[in-house]
Amino acid sequence: MYRYDEFDHAFVSARVEQFRDQVTRRLSGEIAEDAFRPLRLMNGVYLQLHAYMLRVAIPYGTLNSKQMRMLAHIARRYDRGYGHFTTRQNIQYNWPKLSDTPDILAELASVEMHAIQTSGNCIRNVTADHFAGAAADEVADPRPYAEILRQWSSVHPEFSFLPRKFKIAVTGAPRDRAAIQVHDIGLHLKKNEAGELGFAVYVGGGQGRTPLVAKLIRDFLPEEDLLTYVTAIVRVYNLHGRRDNKYKARIKILVHETGVEEVTRQVEAEFQQIRESELKLPEGDIRAIETYFAPPALPDRADGWEALARAKKADGAFASWAAQNVQPHRHPDYGMVTISLKPIGGTPGDASDVQMEVVADVAERLAFDEIRVSHEQNLILPHVALGDLYAVYQALETSGLATANAGLITDIIACPGLDYCALANARSIPVAQEISTRFGSPERQAEIGELKIKISGCINACGHHHVGHIGLLGVEKKGAELYQITLGGSGDENTSIGEIIGRGFEPERVTDAIETIVDTYLGLRLEPKETFIDAYRRVGPKPFKEALYGQTAEAA
Amino acid sequence: MDKMTKIWNQSGFLDNDTWVIETEEVRAGEGERAIVGLETFLDTVEHSNESGFGVLLRPADDVARLAPHLDRIALVAISFPAFSDGRGFSHATLLRQRLGFTGEVRAVGDVLIDQVPLMLRTGFTSFAVSNPVALARLAENRLPGIAERYQPSAVPSTEAGGFSWRRIGGRGA
Amino acid sequence: MADKVLTANRLGDGIAVWLDANGRWTEKLQDAFVARHAEAVAAIEDAGRKAFACNLVLDVNVIEVEEKGGLLRPLRLRERIRAEGPTIAYADGHGFADPAFIAA
Repeated sequence: MYRYDEFDHAFVSARVEQFRDQVTRRLSGEIAEDAFRPLRLMNGVYLQLHAYMLRVAIPYGTLNSKQMRMLAHIARRYDRGYGHFTTRQNIQYNWPKLSDTPDILAELASVEMHAIQTSGNCIRNVTADHFAGAAADEVADPRPYAEILRQWSSVHPEFSFLPRKFKIAVTGAPRDRAAIQVHDIGLHLKKNEAGELGFAVYVGGGQGRTPLVAKLIRDFLPEEDLLTYVTAIVRVYNLHGRRDNKYKARIKILVHETGVEEVTRQVEAEFQQIRESELKLPEGDIRAIETYFAPPALPDRADGWEALARAKKADGAFASWAAQNVQPHRHPDYGMVTISLKPIGGTPGDASDVQMEVVADVAERLAFDEIRVSHEQNLILPHVALGDLYAVYQALETSGLATANAGLITDIIACPGLDYCALANARSIPVAQEISTRFGSPERQAEIGELKIKISGCINACGHHHVGHIGLLGVEKKGAELYQITLGGSGDENTSIGEIIGRGFEPERVTDAIETIVDTYLGLRLEPKETFIDAYRRVGPKPFKEALYGQTAEAA
Repeated sequence: MDKMTKIWNQSGFLDNDTWVIETEEVRAGEGERAIVGLETFLDTVEHSNESGFGVLLRPADDVARLAPHLDRIALVAISFPAFSDGRGFSHATLLRQRLGFTGEVRAVGDVLIDQVPLMLRTGFTSFAVSNPVALARLAENRLPGIAERYQPSAVPSTEAGGFSWRRIGGRGA
Repeated sequence: MADKVLTANRLGDGIAVWLDANGRWTEKLQDAFVARHAEAVAAIEDAGRKAFACNLVLDVNVIEVEEKGGLLRPLRLRERIRAEGPTIAYADGHGFADPAFIAA
């Protein structure tokens, strides 16, 4: 992973001192809230229902044990002993004091972490495939480019006051595990016929009030043009994005209203002006950044196969976990482990300081000291020898981190919702907990197979409900919570926005509605291998509407 | 400019600035120089041989329209009606890097101290400041910029080594 | 006119607070001063503006409450959650909201 040098340390220290000065001025009253607010947002400090919230950046979801231990320390020392991993691969603390935030940032800086630009109308954390550098199907690791973009976008003088937030995601495999098509810019790293590296460039995806799938505007952008091309896109957006209406200010609206041909024309025209400028990437720099992401030397561990087989035979729970939570690695003697942060009936994405320490220890001892955060709110150990899987499982199991549900119905993505968030209209976490508990039986989950439920507590869609196989959107109706159900969404390379299927459900009826949907699927699937999303795409919403609402659909 | 507004550049506050942004109510008087809106400027410049103009660019204006007349412009004032409207940063960048303008570029409107270092890097050379906190900090010459930069910008700065996009500057620009 | 109380978040630590009868900010909704008529509402609004201007609090709002079962109960679910904290067991040693109080 990237390692700071003197320059990076100096920058982040100066940034901490800059923020410390701003906080001091705020606490003394020298600057008022309206001037302070954009400054604190650009350092990840929100105000929520109960307290401030600090969003710490985990660049492209990659961190090591030392950093994870620091996150645990911060939870313990400055917060209430836990943190929440988000759908953008960051971590959130829900109870920091404003007066402590400069010290928190200073401690983060000591382990090469920060909270820069995790909020505000600027370029946010660049996210990437959480299996980068390990996945068997990967063409090239997207993270060096995510790192280049991260650096280039840090305190960018031209792009610090955009019409709205700006999110970029990068993937390097044919399967899209970074949901690039629902980002402002989605980059698909690939090779051309000559074997050269470059990107398919997608622009204008997003969720929220107006979910839209991104448009492909460039089939192949050579890697050296990454910064100049992205500059062109963001400059066009900065100049022409709407600033009259907060809900119409993302680049997806610009693309939708102006038309993708015209936006592409403007971007390409601007790009032509700057493609030979100082921002053109020298090959030496790209290769230099790449060396930071060189995979660890993975010794052959063929002995592990037998050890694994024996452990699975001896321990049925381990066998289930290995079957569900371990994915194929590039190296046949290794696997990619998903550490589920979705215990049955628990809060999706939350981890206590103790759990974070356990993950750090396991990563350091058995996983080449590398951890990832996935946008589905789980943690990943990308490099684990098959022969070490049992030891990893046992360590995780003692701390409630070995739920064998990766990708299954209880692997729910949920935003913090009205339990925490000032923007929310309804709660997400209790809904997730009830569904998880109802479907908690391993047999039932295995029977259902892959099914991604995503829950948002408001239209801002931080729970990514639009791309859930089953999406739940909490709304407020007559002072009470109500949940709209969407079906058929997907955030992978076949991105689709879920369709609303009818009238919403009161909290006490939601779980039954999910059961009805699941039973309908089980009743009509061609075979167990036909997943929910595949079955839905085959049959459409009608059977589900009829099951939920009867032959005549009730008014929504 | 009204009494509460002072003009600042990197040498300090100017006490002899004669530029006046013309509106329906306010015209440049004796010994004062007018900053006029883009349309007015384009109209005027067609029918006169004068130079040394002051032009006001609003966020929605197209800076490229100044290109044929740069040699006749002494000052471009770029407006920030709200500090959150960041279009002025792109205007200044394009004015310097694309059009090659070498005259004075002034930030006017909602100019806050934390924006000044970013404005300096995008090519602004003077600032019309009314915010009391900004005035106080500029008087103390305490600019909150960071010397390490991760991107080249409109104002040439020293390469910092390591990677091609790094630059090093002062805490101002 | 519904009964009203004044709420905000403390500047230094962001904790949700309510204005009490002594003009101080309390972490307990149940100790809040209840404004029952227009003059009292104007008074608490004024107190809120002053506290914001003095940088004691931010996000100041007048909210509606009712008295139910001897307790002050905000009419909006959002404000009931703000008063009680998250409705789930979120951290060791921190309890969670009383479901009966939260219920619609």
